[in-house]
Amino acid sequence: MANIREIQGRINSVKDTMKITNAMYMISSSKLTQAKKKLSDTEPYFYALQGEISRILRHLPELEHNYFLRREEIPAAERKIASIVVTADKGLAGAYNHNIVKLEEEILAKPGIHRLFIVGEYGRHYFSRRGVEIDTHFQYTVQNPTMHRARDISGVLLEQFEAGELDEIYIVYTRMENSIQSEAEVVKLLPLERSSFNEMKMPLNVHREFIELYPSAESVLDSIVPNYVTGMIYGCLVQAYASEHNARMMAMKSATDSAEELIHDLSIAYNRARQAAITQEITEVCAGARAQQK
Amino acid sequence: METFGLRIIASDKIFYDGRCRKLIIPATDGEKGILAYHENMVIAIAVGIAHMELEEGQWTDVAVGTGFAEIVNNRVTLLVDTAERPEDIDVRRAEEQRERAEEQMRQKQSIQEYYHTQASLARAMNRLKLAQEKKWNL
Repeated sequence: MANIREIQGRINSVKDTMKITNAMYMISSSKLTQAKKKLSDTEPYFYALQGEISRILRHLPELEHNYFLRREEIPAAERKIASIVVTADKGLAGAYNHNIVKLEEEILAKPGIHRLFIVGEYGRHYFSRRGVEIDTHFQYTVQNPTMHRARDISGVLLEQFEAGELDEIYIVYTRMENSIQSEAEVVKLLPLERSSFNEMKMPLNVHREFIELYPSAESVLDSIVPNYVTGMIYGCLVQAYASEHNARMMAMKSATDSAEELIHDLSIAYNRARQAAITQEITEVCAGARAQQK
Repeated sequence: METFGLRIIASDKIFYDGRCRKLIIPATDGEKGILAYHENMVIAIAVGIAHMELEEGQWTDVAVGTGFAEIVNNRVTLLVDTAERPEDIDVRRAEEQRERAEEQMRQKQSIQEYYHTQASLARAMNRLKLAQEKKWNL
């Protein structure tokens, strides 16, 4: 049986750790309420934007535009593929970061010249160790996503896409399915693809007439698409932010719970050891007294 | 008078959802008015001030950011990145935003940064314009 003092030391250290995990749980849960409010504010815009773009695309089958160019003449091995990877700034969030990293690894395994634009400190460290090309000027945090930051990010990417420095742009982020479930997913931002929009689970009205674009299809797309990209990035950042805190909250909650369980087990072991020590002492005293009587 | 369904969705809230009599929006080449039973259309919206008449003779002004309007079957959906009422505009913040943008405009920048600050300046000027107009009306 373990030493009493040893057990007590362990109980104390577990208690200290529990204090930290409990504090982090509280912080995350308060941040989560903030993030959820932001999420519910931006959700109508996020889904309406996807719905509208898909509707417009369905009605313009013959359109030729810069943002639709697939650049198929470029062979797969030479395609320049950018991914925006949204991770957390730190770990301690369960599988949140791992799911994102795993998904991004799948993209990296495909042929092409990959460039990463990473939002969040954790992913930056991970991929710089792995030796993938990372845009070093791209230093954005994931805390408190704002429209301003989304505009910055989309500005950088759109410029490079238009200049032909990038052929495909993906965003890897975590989407909140509902308040308990979230899932890492990849969305292709550019070039726009009709099929990807048609698969959307949006409740779209079945029959739609011809829609005119004013002043011209080109100018409308010129102004809508950058907006769409910015809006999508903003939406993704907000979704990721909410998922991150949700994941951290859950992780910290289970850490606190298992710490409590551990303390329970340890205190039983401690009491047993204490009891054993007392019993032994009594036996010794009795034995000593009997020895003197004789 | 005939009305149409109007939904204004900004990136941070649903700004308006209801009936509207007349709507004037800032398109990229000037203002454009929309009445009920307008032709189906998608219009790009520039930074500017939109006016909507909700009740007879009652006009509401809204400062909008870039986005687009979609008119389908007498329903109008405005998807813009920002939408603000004049009373929601913080004049001092807009002023600071304008000064910051002007300061950045004077410095040497890449083309992308230039467009960026230009857009930021346009938004600031737009906010100030709407807020200022209201001040005179008082």
